[in-house]
Amino acid sequence: MKKLILAALVLASMAVAVSSQSIKVLLWDDPLAKIIQANIPDFEKATGYKVEVEMVAPPQVLTKTSVGVTATSSDYDVVPLDEGNIPVFASLMSTWDSLPDGKVFKKTPKDSVTPAMLDVGTWDGKLIAFPINGNIYVWFTKKDLIDNPQYKKDFKAKYGYELVVPVTFKQLDDEVSFFSALGVGGFGPFNGGAAGVHAEAIYMWESFGTSFINWVNGKPKVVLDETKAVTGMEFYKRLMTMSPKGSETWAHNERIASFTTDPKGAWTQFHWPSYIASYENPDTSLVSGKVYYSAPPGGPSKRVAVRGAWAVGIPVAAKNKAGGAEFAYWWTSKAMAQKVVEGNAIPARADVLTDPQYAKKMPWLAAIADSMKYAVARPRFKEVAQVQDIVKKYWVQGITGQLPTADAVKAIVKETNDVLSKAGY
Amino acid sequence: MSSPKPATSGSSGKDETGGATPFPTRAKRSGRGGAPLLFLAPALLVVFAVLIFPILFSLFVSTWNWPLSEGLGPRVFVGMGNYLTLFTDSEFWNSLRLQLGFVFIALPIELILGYAAALLLNREFFGAGFVRTLLLLPVFFLPVLSGIIWRFMLQPRYGPLAQILVALGIPETSWLGTPGWAYAAVILQDIWRMWPFMFMLIYAGLSNIPGELLEAAEIDGARYWQRVRIIITPLLTPTIMTALLLRLIDALRIFSEVFAMTEGGPGTATLLFSLYANKQAFTYMKVGMASAMAIFLLVLSVVFALTLVRRNMSLEELERKAGN
Repeated sequence: MKKLILAALVLASMAVAVSSQSIKVLLWDDPLAKIIQANIPDFEKATGYKVEVEMVAPPQVLTKTSVGVTATSSDYDVVPLDEGNIPVFASLMSTWDSLPDGKVFKKTPKDSVTPAMLDVGTWDGKLIAFPINGNIYVWFTKKDLIDNPQYKKDFKAKYGYELVVPVTFKQLDDEVSFFSALGVGGFGPFNGGAAGVHAEAIYMWESFGTSFINWVNGKPKVVLDETKAVTGMEFYKRLMTMSPKGSETWAHNERIASFTTDPKGAWTQFHWPSYIASYENPDTSLVSGKVYYSAPPGGPSKRVAVRGAWAVGIPVAAKNKAGGAEFAYWWTSKAMAQKVVEGNAIPARADVLTDPQYAKKMPWLAAIADSMKYAVARPRFKEVAQVQDIVKKYWVQGITGQLPTADAVKAIVKETNDVLSKAGY
Repeated sequence: MSSPKPATSGSSGKDETGGATPFPTRAKRSGRGGAPLLFLAPALLVVFAVLIFPILFSLFVSTWNWPLSEGLGPRVFVGMGNYLTLFTDSEFWNSLRLQLGFVFIALPIELILGYAAALLLNREFFGAGFVRTLLLLPVFFLPVLSGIIWRFMLQPRYGPLAQILVALGIPETSWLGTPGWAYAAVILQDIWRMWPFMFMLIYAGLSNIPGELLEAAEIDGARYWQRVRIIITPLLTPTIMTALLLRLIDALRIFSEVFAMTEGGPGTATLLFSLYANKQAFTYMKVGMASAMAIFLLVLSVVFALTLVRRNMSLEELERKAGN
């Protein structure tokens, strides 16, 4: 019996030792995460930790984190958090300041990212997750259309100014009209997931001078100016009439396919920088090396680039908090950010995004840095998923002509207020 | 010698006065004691764990405000609160309407197609076996794959089906981007995939109808459609009802093919019941609401199933039809 107890104790102590030497990491499946995964052997070699990765599709990250991370237990030592979900998990994450110093990698300084990016992982004044990608609206324009001498000549003759990458909504409207009439391409809208449609709505509304929801006296409050909101929706509706058929249901994959493989598909559209690798892959894209990247065109009120970044957090209940923190420091280090850039993905670190050694061969980096000047965030609160669904439902109905835009805006305001009211705000 | 009274106190083997009766209990009679129960226990346990417990747990969760993440707040008992909220939710009624519309449009068409094909192919000709096998192919498609394929086929610029329609003179249309067409496309996809299921069951039933009956009717002068109406259809009723019941239960739960095809859109035009329940659980993170929807769907399925069985598959009903 004594031998049995002894063996059990030895096994238990071995299990504890192994768990303190292993780190369980949840990753979302995209090019950046794959670069991180590919470099994990270097981290293991440097630190002696054994890293166990679970990589799932982005929507499943939310489910996995929801079920696997509580205040008292956690299946993971490191979790990625989408910017919009920060309010949901804020109370379950360790603050960046409270994390222990690394043994091999230094704690990443907050000023390695811009204040706008630091805001991604901040909730209630505390940094609870560190930004890991520079996901912000960047505008993509096909070079072969914009640089075509005949088109340039014809455009100037018709509109009286140069055909260039659109900087204003007026230019965007004229250029989309011009190429649409020629039948050589159209505007690329986003009408896929609710979060993305919400981002498009915010882009239009902010560009026309109105915010959707602001925090007032510690509560989210609808502050949408309905007249300006209708104008923004009407502009998008006009662009939709000059979009390829089927774009009423386009999500990211369809937009990428249209832009990169269809010579008469979308030629001007926003996209998240995390998808740049798909545009620049010469094996699958007809436009590799033939895309102008810029900050999105600005509306009558201001220039806006919607932010949608991810951040890395360490659960309060992580079994190996020190190991998780070490992993987060490695992930957000300059050396890793350089590897991410070299893999055509986008880190959050400002020093790497503006590094001259990458600027020439990766023209999108300058565009991302430029977009960050115009960064706006989507409203964040715990019930935002319901509000996003409301916006998507009526936004798509409005821009496709199923519902008058004024009615769509009214419905958005009313139903959003209902959600906020039921949530007790 | 007076005849002994039967035991009235269950299986205790004792009479009303508590004395031992001359008749032993069934267990005692067989001399097996509690052994049968013991042997049944594992199976009962599995049935409980797999069938009963999830339903009971869903019922339990449906009475709570149960956020998927602890970060959204504590779990709170709300009693019937989730059900009341659902009944005042316009989206809930919309998804139910879409779901019932889907069932009552798709299933009859699948039944008619399956029945017609079974009648047509219930004869021997060269390649009959091959044709019958070929017809079954769509049933074996993974639902999610079927959804993706239909989504691709209907893509206005690249989709082969969309291109065929354009070639037929129909204007280029965003089939999945227009609410009415998207709903129709979802139904069409289901009909394409599942009508062979109806065919399979009805054909099997048809093969079992005694040939003598049909021959006798033919000798008596019954024409083909008379034989179909008076002999074949009544005899096939139990098979048809079984096929309908199985399809009904399946159709009420439809999820992956619609999710892959439209994700419930455009707007909420194809947000069928299970898609909305999924949204409640994994988008809004309201597991209690999703469970309430699941329980509602369960009750709805049982009501439909019982109605079908009682009205069409009861012994009296079958005898009545056979008498006709």
